[in-house]
Amino acid sequence: MKLTRRALLKNSLLLGATAPLSIGSAFAANQANVSQQGQINLYGSNKSTTELGLGLRQLGLKPRYEGRLNPLALSALPSGTLAAGFTDESGIVLLTSLLAGRGRILALGRHESNQHHLLSHRGPIVEPTTIETGSWQASLGREYARLALASARDRHARHFLGTPTTTNVSELSFLVQL
Amino acid sequence: MSTTKRILPKGIAEADFDAALNQFRETIGSESVLTESEQLAPYTKIMMAGDASDYIPSAALLPNDAEQVQELVRICNEYKVPIWTISTGKNLGYGSAAPGETGQVILDLHRMNRILSVDPEVCTALIEPGVTYQQLYDYIQEKGYKLWLDPPAPSAIAGPVGNTLDRGVGYTPYGEHFMFQCGMEVVLANGEMIRTGMGGIENSSSWQVFKWGYGPYIDGLFTQSNYGVVTKMGLWLMPEPPAYRPFLIQYQDPEDIAEIVDVLRPLRISQIIPNAVVIVHTLWDAGTHVVRKHYYDGKESIPREAIERIKQDEGIGEWNVYAALYGTPEQIEVNWNIVEQAFGASGKAKIMYGDEAEQRGGGFEYRSALMKGDMNLQEFGLYNWRGGGGSMWFAPVSQAKGSETKDQTELAQKILGKYGFDYVAEYIVGWRDMHHVIDLLYNREDPEETQRAHDCFAELIDEFAKRGYGLYRTNTEFMEQVAGTFGEPLRNVHTALKNALDPNGILSPGKSGIRQ
Repeated sequence: MKLTRRALLKNSLLLGATAPLSIGSAFAANQANVSQQGQINLYGSNKSTTELGLGLRQLGLKPRYEGRLNPLALSALPSGTLAAGFTDESGIVLLTSLLAGRGRILALGRHESNQHHLLSHRGPIVEPTTIETGSWQASLGREYARLALASARDRHARHFLGTPTTTNVSELSFLVQL
Repeated sequence: MSTTKRILPKGIAEADFDAALNQFRETIGSESVLTESEQLAPYTKIMMAGDASDYIPSAALLPNDAEQVQELVRICNEYKVPIWTISTGKNLGYGSAAPGETGQVILDLHRMNRILSVDPEVCTALIEPGVTYQQLYDYIQEKGYKLWLDPPAPSAIAGPVGNTLDRGVGYTPYGEHFMFQCGMEVVLANGEMIRTGMGGIENSSSWQVFKWGYGPYIDGLFTQSNYGVVTKMGLWLMPEPPAYRPFLIQYQDPEDIAEIVDVLRPLRISQIIPNAVVIVHTLWDAGTHVVRKHYYDGKESIPREAIERIKQDEGIGEWNVYAALYGTPEQIEVNWNIVEQAFGASGKAKIMYGDEAEQRGGGFEYRSALMKGDMNLQEFGLYNWRGGGGSMWFAPVSQAKGSETKDQTELAQKILGKYGFDYVAEYIVGWRDMHHVIDLLYNREDPEETQRAHDCFAELIDEFAKRGYGLYRTNTEFMEQVAGTFGEPLRNVHTALKNALDPNGILSPGKSGIRQ
């Protein structure tokens, strides 16, 4: 991943020797509580992302498409911002690493050809492949929307067979809050 | 599966932990004491082949300055709460930001990120643990100083303090990071603060220029250890040279590695080539931007036939040497002639720089940036090679001799092959030593494969140790085993120091296999 100056400016890594930087506290005064307004940043660049966004909308969230995930850019977003989407292995490594002390992991998903593994830190997972209409990604979007609004704070993991994906490509999903 | 049970530090009653948490909150504020599962989740993401349930923190503390660290340590001593210290928490593949064992409290220093001084005349810096390479780089650029950093490969988000304390390496002539460290401020387990080297002299101007101070030199005690919490560190910065020439040398035969190292050694020792030279195997060079299953989707090690196709398609050699020359243009021309003659003698090498090197496949562009201290995250691409999020660095040290390479390479390939993993490796040639760095990439989502990776790594440690090769660094899952390979007398000394400096054993228990 190359770092453009614009990306660095956006992610606050160009602050040099200014006063101690605390992403969390720097934005403490800007607690817009975006999640209460239903806004959620959506990342990814394929059909799965579009379908995920559809699912999020079906439960009342307002996804804002941001394109391919640049994890470094997330730290420049206001505290409380919700973010979801799909990325690759290196994106997940970078994302989870950058959230240490700076944000919350609400859920992570790994989606193989016909199975899904979901990890939630917002209570139990309702099987997202029990679909009457639509795709598994849209169903996942509805599940992520439900978890984003949930009040539970305990960890649950679930592995289950689901609707086969159209390709054998592994997809990784995430739901986080800054 | 649900895990709602509260995680507590080992041997600490719930009431005592709650009392400690209350004091932590009074000291650094409630918002800086993290206890919720979703806040702690980022600290639990490990890449090594261990059980995730063994690496869950009970809390994380985020102090803003050294005085808060002192107070936190005093509270931990009172309640016997063990803490695991991280600086920026980017020790990926070596334990990441996770604690050494479940229940430990993370002491996360990333908010302590002040650049306290950069002196462009003596080329030094004094920084806190949360400063990232990118942050320091940008500061230097903003000031217009002609100074270079020496970042490791996944560099922008990591920091000089954490990397130096774990004795990491980079790719410029300042690549051996601990060699270029000068002066520390350390909070000891009893809460007292010391400054090493010349730092104990009030108003000293030499803290960042004279390493040794007076009496025993102790800075090394605070690297790869758990004897104190380093809250400031000095480091030397490389003056930007008038000219710089990165170059690439490709060899196509697996057995060429011995010749490469033997040609390279005298050039390194005499400083004709002054930087940490990397000799990258095909799969590493390709793995930063190619996905394995495009060439082979089997469970076993990638076969020779697929490696040859990658070499052909990607323009990559079996061994790809990345090095650079530094100095005036005249010095570089003189040294380039020496390099060309040395590597050209056998007729096996393809020697390139400039456009010719850039047009070859592999990592010339990002490695050229690294060898002049510029940031990039290209090596994160290795995590896409096999997929599944598993990565462990196996890095034995040897002499920089060709005779040391053949057995090592064959042994590594044999053991990796036995367990079905790929030889994704490089040799880093230092001044006289050589790190053989292997990224054991595996699918952590597959329990059977994870167990295989664990067994493979354990066997690599044992078999290399039998042949005299010890690791320079390892991940938290294998720290005990690696410490054992260095012998009990050394461990006894480490333990004696631990007992003397940290009698309650609260600082990073288990780090490098050191406990009370």
